[in-house]
Amino acid sequence: MIIEISHFFTILATGLFLLSGIFAVSIKNTEYVSNLISRTYTHAFLFLLISFSLYVWLAATDNFSVLYIASHSNSDLPIFYKISSIWSAHEGSMFLWIVFLALWGYLFNFNITQANPIKSLAIGIMSLIIVGFLLFLLLTSNPFQTILPIPPSNGADINPVLQDPALVIHPPTLYLGYVGFGIPFACALAFLIRGNTEIEWELMVQKWSVVAWIFLTIGITLGSWWAYYELGWGGYWFWDPVENVALMPWLAATAFIHSLSVSIKSKRLRVWTLLLSILVFSLSLFGAFIVRSGIIDSVHSFANDPERGLYLLGFISVIIITSLVLFVIRFSKIQSMIRIKRFSKESFISINNIFFGVLVFSVMLGVIYPLIYEYLFNQKISVGAPFYTAIFSPIVLVACIFLIFSIDSKWSREFKFNLMNLPIIFSTTLSIFITFVFIFLYEIDDIYINLLIFVGFLIIFRYIFEIYKLISAKKYINPFSAMAHMALGLLLISISLNSVLSSERAMSIKIDETESYKDLTIYFQNINLSEAYNYDSIEADLLVQTTNGESFLLSPEKRRYFTRGQITTETAIHASLLRDIYMTIGDQLDDGSWVVNIQINYLIRWIWFSAILMCMAGIMLIFSKKRLRR
Amino acid sequence: MKLLFKFFILITPILFLFMFYLLLTEDNSYPGADYDTQNFPIFELETLSGKKIVNTNINDKALLLNVWASWCITCRVEHSYLMYLNKQGIPILGLNYKDEKEDAINWLKKYGNPYKDNIHDYKGSLALDLGVTGAPETFLIINGQVVAHYQGEVNETIWNDVFLPIIDENRIF
Repeated sequence: MIIEISHFFTILATGLFLLSGIFAVSIKNTEYVSNLISRTYTHAFLFLLISFSLYVWLAATDNFSVLYIASHSNSDLPIFYKISSIWSAHEGSMFLWIVFLALWGYLFNFNITQANPIKSLAIGIMSLIIVGFLLFLLLTSNPFQTILPIPPSNGADINPVLQDPALVIHPPTLYLGYVGFGIPFACALAFLIRGNTEIEWELMVQKWSVVAWIFLTIGITLGSWWAYYELGWGGYWFWDPVENVALMPWLAATAFIHSLSVSIKSKRLRVWTLLLSILVFSLSLFGAFIVRSGIIDSVHSFANDPERGLYLLGFISVIIITSLVLFVIRFSKIQSMIRIKRFSKESFISINNIFFGVLVFSVMLGVIYPLIYEYLFNQKISVGAPFYTAIFSPIVLVACIFLIFSIDSKWSREFKFNLMNLPIIFSTTLSIFITFVFIFLYEIDDIYINLLIFVGFLIIFRYIFEIYKLISAKKYINPFSAMAHMALGLLLISISLNSVLSSERAMSIKIDETESYKDLTIYFQNINLSEAYNYDSIEADLLVQTTNGESFLLSPEKRRYFTRGQITTETAIHASLLRDIYMTIGDQLDDGSWVVNIQINYLIRWIWFSAILMCMAGIMLIFSKKRLRR
Repeated sequence: MKLLFKFFILITPILFLFMFYLLLTEDNSYPGADYDTQNFPIFELETLSGKKIVNTNINDKALLLNVWASWCITCRVEHSYLMYLNKQGIPILGLNYKDEKEDAINWLKKYGNPYKDNIHDYKGSLALDLGVTGAPETFLIINGQVVAHYQGEVNETIWNDVFLPIIDENRIF
């Protein structure tokens, strides 16, 4: 009964969103109409929220007459996994995705004054996008289907690898990021439709874009961490197609928020900013399409049928083509005739936009090339890390060098470089020195790695000097930019060192035997068989000793879940400041020995820490800048 | 120059989208379907009723092999379509996968039995040889050879698109 009510409310919400959209695009915008649109939207959102809350309640109370809940939840699960089972597969996660999209619109509606010239239209555009997705949900992936008259007595259980705290929050954060860019997109579109260049849509969306960017960054970082310790992949990034479709909007969004700041400050690069706002949201939608159409096999892809893919593709095409046609029509009007000064901040950011554009394009190529190849030659190939490394290393390197030069540049002014000033000389010398220390200490012979380490340190030192200037009150610098870019420097150093220093080895080892690897001595103490409420487990106890006397027990585990017969690996990790000792256990061999895989991952935590630091910079920016709100 | 830029801005995404359209509407766009031919693996197991069954028992005719389990919710969804197929006179052999015998028998009693017989593969050994990754999965077997394999729920669309072409081609059933 409750499920029907929930279903009904979603249909009702769809109707109201449609109304709000129609009002916005078809009726002349008066005060009365804009109030009407705002209220219709609010009510539509409330209906959707009620519907979703009911659905959450059904999942929490084990209502297995709902097909989706019966297929993805189980009465033995703790309550938070029962709820998170909603976003463990296609239908429910799509539902959540839409609720978040509508939530952003609601907050936007709530926060922006009625007097704003493009608010109503933006709300209307949001509504229409939401309607498109709600129809997709209701027509092709209905989560409200029931199994009647005899519901199963228990559910099929959530996929065990998804029974993890990180997975409870990873999809929601990522979705909040993806759909958050709906706001800048809707505003950009409203701006294009109105065609009045006086409207400062960029200022309006800055806060929203940064918040969405923060969510996207956190979401990607959580995903990376989850793959590391739960999936047992043993690394932080795998260029998996679905990781890539999250990376593309992130890259585009990063370029977008840079470009946005220029458009706000000096009204330049407006064309870029508009195009990027369209690109970011299109790539977010493209991500949803890739994951949900079944076009790519990946850990993330949901079981699917081509009909869904076609609907999504059609809808996304309408959104993208409409917005680009509008863009092309208004192009001449927005285009600024003022030339950007050489070596001004604006010039550097426009170069940055180009670099990011190239990166997005390369990732896109890596994602679709195997698909095209398979289509044409009926042969599966995979594009992996070497391709991306080959493209990313030089581009990131050059982009960072531009970044270093941009530190001293000024807004709207030409700038002459004076390479002979003390901070530059000092930080360059220091970075070269440290890089050489690393080269000799660890015998690194990869030229790109060396250069990236050098550039990473240089960025950090340059900004330390800048911050010193800020503190000694000689000069104003943007502290958030400084923090985020120092985090970038740290990220470069961590990734570079991680890639050269980390190593792994698979060994076969018997109980009571000792093996050694690098500076570690590993003693296989014991193996325990045990049974938990929903799985069997084999747990190995390995005592690891380092040469400097430290010793600790690592217990990697393998589990077989009863309900699906699925086997999962539980990693054992010993984390310290500089490195992780990471262990997984494989199969038992015929001679009674066990395959144990050991990895030493250097600085892997620093990679995530850098990402968090970037987010912190963003969060500080949101809370500090009064001038953002107007 | 400006015109060229406008043109590219529009045409690039359209080309991309069109390419995805082609990829999506490709013939074998069912990700679960697989048409590799393989001999039916050699096995020796019991049926749910306790009779011995070996691979020679299913050598000489065309039949559908359906992997199912009482714990599998999708099997429950698929079940009604299998009942329908059975009524149409298509022989279906069940492969009861990693399931307790009692649960499986009760399940059949409760919902109805579309299978002419059921291999009880408690350890999943035959399923492993067949390349089963989970339940439900369905195999089409002609003359002791697996000719089609579908992972996931069989319904009318899947039946028409994945299985019927082969069935028509071989003039069976």
